[in-house]
Amino acid sequence: MKLWDKLSLRTRLTLLHSGLLALIVCILGVTFFIDTRNLLIENTASHLRARAKPIIEHWLYGQKNHLPTSDDLKQIAKSLARDLTSRNTVALILDKHGRTIANGKMLPEEPSPPSPNPVYYSQALAGKNEVNYIISQSNHHTLVILIPLRQTPTSQKIIGVVQLSSPLTSVEQTLFYHGLYLATGALITLFMGFGLGFLLTSSALRGLKRVINICQEISKGNLNLRVNLPKRQDEIGQLAHAFDKMVECIESTFEAQRRFVANAAHELRTPLTVLRGSLDVLLRGSQDDPAAVTRLSQGMYQEVTRLARLCDQLLDLAKLETSTKIQKRPLNLNDFFKNFITQAQLLTQGRRIVLREGPFVTLVVDPDMLKQILFNLLYNAIQHTDETGTITLGWKLIPNQVEIWIADNGEGISPQDLPHIFEPFYRGKNATSKRKKGTGLGLALVKSMIEAHNGHIEVKSQLGQGTVFTFRLPLH
Amino acid sequence: MSSAPFILIIEDEPTITEFLKTGLTYEGYQVLVAENGRDGLDSLKNHDIDLIILDIMLPDIDGFEVCRRIRAKGINIPILMLTAKKEISDRVKGLDLGADDYLTKPFSFDELLARIRALLRRAGCRFESSELRAANIILNTDTREVFVDGKSIYLTPTEFALLELFIRHPRRVFTRETLLNRIWGYDYVGNTNIVDVHVSHLREKIGDKPPRLIRTHYGIGYAFYPEDE
Repeated sequence: MKLWDKLSLRTRLTLLHSGLLALIVCILGVTFFIDTRNLLIENTASHLRARAKPIIEHWLYGQKNHLPTSDDLKQIAKSLARDLTSRNTVALILDKHGRTIANGKMLPEEPSPPSPNPVYYSQALAGKNEVNYIISQSNHHTLVILIPLRQTPTSQKIIGVVQLSSPLTSVEQTLFYHGLYLATGALITLFMGFGLGFLLTSSALRGLKRVINICQEISKGNLNLRVNLPKRQDEIGQLAHAFDKMVECIESTFEAQRRFVANAAHELRTPLTVLRGSLDVLLRGSQDDPAAVTRLSQGMYQEVTRLARLCDQLLDLAKLETSTKIQKRPLNLNDFFKNFITQAQLLTQGRRIVLREGPFVTLVVDPDMLKQILFNLLYNAIQHTDETGTITLGWKLIPNQVEIWIADNGEGISPQDLPHIFEPFYRGKNATSKRKKGTGLGLALVKSMIEAHNGHIEVKSQLGQGTVFTFRLPLH
Repeated sequence: MSSAPFILIIEDEPTITEFLKTGLTYEGYQVLVAENGRDGLDSLKNHDIDLIILDIMLPDIDGFEVCRRIRAKGINIPILMLTAKKEISDRVKGLDLGADDYLTKPFSFDELLARIRALLRRAGCRFESSELRAANIILNTDTREVFVDGKSIYLTPTEFALLELFIRHPRRVFTRETLLNRIWGYDYVGNTNIVDVHVSHLREKIGDKPPRLIRTHYGIGYAFYPEDE
């Protein structure tokens, strides 16, 4: 079993089906061989009988007018035996006691008759018509036929037995060649079966070998490799295709993860630079100047706040990614938005904020998350709108969903930045405001939170005109 | 102080410019801040700048472009680039475009100062020769030699650092804590008395007699007065 497991799939399949083929060919061959042999012997026997019948009848019933007796048999035995004997058949006439009364062999080239076998002899004497048996003498087989001699063709009275013996040389020869052909044919079939089978399995499994090689390369870290099997629609082709898609997915996830970590580390640099630089400067002596201490402390405080927010948002994102455990409960949107606007007005710094109430609706959501989504979007709008701008938000009902929107008339987002704004840490290519105070995670967080609610967010924007964020949440 | 080196900082992150400005001013440099590349290029026309500290990420034109434009005008002022990126290609690009040195954020302020001094010295700036003179003292920061009235004297490394600090910042009052931080390091744990001990040794070695060069401000610290007042 161990050796079997060690063999390659190709070898195993080939061995298995070659074995099956061999078994079938053997069974067929042996059956065919035995059948032919029986047929040939049967043939020979009936041929002998057919030839003996008229001779026996001629001698037994042809001459006299009375029924033949044992004495009559003794008289005609010699002639009968001689008539029944031919080049490959020798006849012996036996009386009803089993004694040989005549032997047909006269010429030396005629085969010597075997001595009668008492078991078969008594069967024939008992009246059994078809007694055939084969005796073997030094590799030569001889067919022996016993014919009971009856007083009349239908009588039960048996007056003697004729033993005809004929060597099976010709039958054996025929059978020998038959066997030879069969064996040769079987061997050729087996070889061809084995060879063709091996080729077929090999070609079928060749793709698999490639998949294995690529797998090994990929496990060494070369995630950019692909199997790329040339057009194959079979299972192996499908496997290779599915495998390629999987690696593609893993690679992009890896790449996104790597970029995320790099970006997060990059975001840490500015706060760390400020903290370290300010501390260096303070410790080198500026601590003796109260005004410098105040200014530097304020800067450090700002950066620590930014670090803390970055940390919070990173944690939020990680939490949303690992477990989508959100605490949903029914929420009346009208009450929620009135409450939200009151709080939002504290943040707008002079910008006008307008609520366009939609129909009365109760939504099943996590209220904290919804609030965070709206605050992040509001914060984003404030960042990109000057102090005279207007921010509008509201909701409306569409089939099975609620659509919530928040629009501003600020600077807008350029078309090449628009597809990327939900990516963590994405900074506009030519944003006029480099970093402002954002962490770069706000919109990524918004998207994650909406998706955790099975919702969907879209953004439309025109440079200089403003931006509209629209998201849909399922009603139930 | 009008003779102090003039440093232009082109950086848009206010918290970074804040500590750079405070720290560099304290070290005796004159500092001008530009919040974007265009302002920075304009400042070069109106001021006699000795060195530029240039951030790569700027809101309008990036640091590489600013650097290229400065060099294109044939201005040879030393440029020290600040980058947040560690990739070698970025540094190579900066240096290729004519920057003289770079620092990766976050950096140590000491290292920044050392690089500024090295750049100024290489540019042949008059303020950064290795030989410092004050009163009857000549101090060479390269050879670590000190001469008083032309006679060589031996100072321990601590005393040498103290004297160099005093000469570089004449008339500035250093508290004992500041001296501890700057000479012994931020992580030194111990009594400020050690400062008094070393200052008294230093006075002895340079033959400092009343009215002293190194004067005690009672309850505060020490200051160095190279000219009699």
